Amino acid sequence: MGLVSATLLRSLAPICLLIAIAGLVMSIGEPYQIRVAYIFFINLTAVFALQIYMGGTGHASFGHAAFQGIAAYSVAILMTPLALKRLLIPDAPFGLAAVHLGAVPSILIALVLTGVIAYIVGLAISRLGGVAAEIATLAFLVIVHVIFTNWIELFRGPRAFYGIPSISNLYWGLGAAIIALLIAKLFRDSPYGVQLRAASDNLLAARAMGVPVERLRLLAWTLSGIVMGMAGILLATYLGTIAPSSFYFNQTFLIMAMLLLGGMRSVSGALCGTLVISIGSELTRSLESGPVIAGIDLPAMFGLTGFFLGAIIVLVMSFRREGLLGGEEFEDLFRQWKLKRKSAADETSADAPAKQEA
Amino acid sequence: MEYFVQQTINALSVGGEYALLALGLAIVFSIMNLVNFAHGELITLGGYAMLFSAAWFVSDPIYLLPICVLAATGAAILFERVAFRPVRNAPETTGLLTAFGVSIVVQNALLIFVATRPKPVPIPDWMQGTIQIAGLHLPMVQVLETSCTVVAATGLILLLTKTNLGLAMRAAAKDFTVVRLMGIKADRVILGAFAVSGFLAGLAAVFILARRGAVDPMMGFSPVLKAFVACVLGGFGSLLGAAVGGLSLGMLEVLLQATLPSEVAGFRDAIVFLLVGAVLIWRPTGLLGKRVELGDKE
Amino acid sequence: MLQLTDVSVSYGPIQAVRNVSATVEQGEIVALLGPNGAGKTSLVSSIVGIIPVSSGSVGFDGEDITRTPVESIVRKGLTLTPEGRRVFAGLSVAENLRLGASTQSDRAAVEETLETYLEMFPILRERYHQTATTLSGGEQQMLAIARSLMSRPRMLMLDEPSLGLAPRVVERIFEHIVELKQSGLTMLVVEQNATEALAFADRAYVLASGKLVFEGAASELASSDRLMEAYLGTGVD
Ligand SMILES: Nc1ncnc2c1ncn2[C@@H]1O[C@H](COP(=O)(O)OP(=O)(O)O)[C@@H](O)[C@H]1O
Ligand SMILES: [Mg+2]
Repeated sequence: MGLVSATLLRSLAPICLLIAIAGLVMSIGEPYQIRVAYIFFINLTAVFALQIYMGGTGHASFGHAAFQGIAAYSVAILMTPLALKRLLIPDAPFGLAAVHLGAVPSILIALVLTGVIAYIVGLAISRLGGVAAEIATLAFLVIVHVIFTNWIELFRGPRAFYGIPSISNLYWGLGAAIIALLIAKLFRDSPYGVQLRAASDNLLAARAMGVPVERLRLLAWTLSGIVMGMAGILLATYLGTIAPSSFYFNQTFLIMAMLLLGGMRSVSGALCGTLVISIGSELTRSLESGPVIAGIDLPAMFGLTGFFLGAIIVLVMSFRREGLLGGEEFEDLFRQWKLKRKSAADETSADAPAKQEA
Repeated sequence: MEYFVQQTINALSVGGEYALLALGLAIVFSIMNLVNFAHGELITLGGYAMLFSAAWFVSDPIYLLPICVLAATGAAILFERVAFRPVRNAPETTGLLTAFGVSIVVQNALLIFVATRPKPVPIPDWMQGTIQIAGLHLPMVQVLETSCTVVAATGLILLLTKTNLGLAMRAAAKDFTVVRLMGIKADRVILGAFAVSGFLAGLAAVFILARRGAVDPMMGFSPVLKAFVACVLGGFGSLLGAAVGGLSLGMLEVLLQATLPSEVAGFRDAIVFLLVGAVLIWRPTGLLGKRVELGDKE
Repeated sequence: MLQLTDVSVSYGPIQAVRNVSATVEQGEIVALLGPNGAGKTSLVSSIVGIIPVSSGSVGFDGEDITRTPVESIVRKGLTLTPEGRRVFAGLSVAENLRLGASTQSDRAAVEETLETYLEMFPILRERYHQTATTLSGGEQQMLAIARSLMSRPRMLMLDEPSLGLAPRVVERIFEHIVELKQSGLTMLVVEQNATEALAFADRAYVLASGKLVFEGAASELASSDRLMEAYLGTGVD
């Protein structure tokens, strides 16, 4: 069986789960729940993207939210109607104030642009390696943020960029999440992914075997940047409004916590962590706005979600470093569980005659 | 002439601030391979300690300064005990992410329990004035910060070369296992490293607060990001590299500040980081770094 | 003095040492022999607490030290000079020795100990202020041994003190080991140079693939070509 068909087959269960979530929400959901589900799919796409890089290289990236921002601003600038653009960014450079493209070309250009930027940045990051690379991703996030907030002619600075056509719906989110899942799984199981993971376990051995570590890191980084771009496009084309702060720290630690909770070494872990945290943060969100519990009107508590996300990261790193799924995929866990059951069954059947003798 | 001297002392004080922070990061990293993302929160907590002390029991702002340093030192020790001990022998990325989590927890705890808005902190008046040296008017903060950095760096050198703890810390940066084989308690060495790094962060915090005059939960991030970049620029884990990286970064920043046209002044940090990135492409291990695979030690 | 009972050591799924039981008595030199990869380093590292003992127990002076941290074991008087010397690069000879004395609080006693070993290893006095990395391999080995001795241990384990040294230098190191024995120090010496080690050892253990395959008097092993051939492959190489 080829890699692609094998991956498709093994992704069937999680894909069905995602479709079921979308179906359920669409059939019975209120607009609020649909919105929550859509955000879930955006974050899921983003977490799969992050998993491609972090799961492959074993290095942390704090810079991925920047890719989301780059793609989101690209579609925003290309797709927003001219009349509105004259209001928002009348002095846009490169004649962009007079450019208006349809959805498909805008999205394609946004993805290509994100990919090119990711590639260029990746050239530096893949060369650095280790701690320096991790800090470089952080610096990248800050650089992009500084550009968004200071290049007022193009990005409107810290103010929101609004009026982006809201053309997407929940099925876009579902589709993007499924595509991201397949890309992440295919990459993980491909020879590149396997070599990269081997290199992150033992760099020297992998180098000695001729694994082109830098090139593979660059590939993972670029690929994950493009997938991250998908998440950015989803955000812009659904909410219709974006701002630099949407692609900064809060987003970074949200997707980081999601990935780490499930376990960054597997795609299933990414899915699992995103599900748990999405549900959890819906619960704390109601606390944050000061809910009424048992007749007591609690005060609004900003920062509660962040507090929990930080605590999750610390606790997971201290007590279950590989995350909830321990770095395994669903199908591997299932196989191990079946094996265990089988051996347990064998044991009892082997025990049975012995007992009879006694 | 006066302008030139002013800019030089400005560059030295900013560079010194980054060097103090970068040295703290480097000491902890060299000994236990931990990239302390939560280093910035030491500054923040130092600032909040000043805020609360001023509100509760301290009337003369001069006493707030040692309180800030002590609080940062205490916070560093506390972080180590509570959060970093479980990941002591874990891979670098695990430690880094733990510290990242700690940083988020502290920031958001302050958001929840104190306030989202910046709060003013009393600073002694004399720190905000200028001082006349050889006929030149120089800002007091900058002069003090530069001299404090020199004193702190000298103290650090003495500590590392003349005391048993310092010797053990230097040795632990080379080979922690053998340090323990000498009968030296690992906990003490690590505690020492965190105490020193917290102390240096507290010193830097005093001056950061003297400049901005207010605290907010996110205030530690920006200076520590600079310190990270300084460490990478100098060569991660090398103390000399941290000092050199910090000073160079501060000078570069002041140079750009003074020369950039006002339209692009907002991009200063982005330009600084891009320039550092260019240096790193030329020398991936930093100015003083050595090529070590995986960045780890024996 | 040292008592190992069924000690095993594992690295994940790999078992490097399997159920080793052995003793070292006060005043003895015991040789621990075996080919490369036999598990000798793993065994001594686990005794001193650098790596955990996965099962079994280690006793020192009748006290259980199986789970005791390294630094406490050293403070009880048992230490190890690790394989490959591992002197602190960038630190001077003097600083290396000072670190060795970290467990001692009596300054005068430290000076006295230092004097003893500078007497024993005059080259260290000569190179006292040089950084350790400028020393030759043999000199570094002497520094590593002296550094261990600065804590005034009652028992010293040496892991391959002859590793990578020229024969003439090896001989010098072994002379020092004999000298230390005469001063009453108990020692466990890990060696691949079986013939030479057996010349100064009282008893010997042979480890192969993590298991003990021989224990007995050093002379018994040394005098039997058959045993030497079977366990240590001498004569083949
Ligand atoms: N850190 C380690 N991780 C995994 N396996 C190891 C490690 N150290 C040693 N081993 C394995 O344990 C076995 C014994 O090694 P060692 O104790 O170094 O033997 P010796 O000192 O006798 O040469 C070898 O098979 C070696 O590959
Ligand atoms: Mg060995």
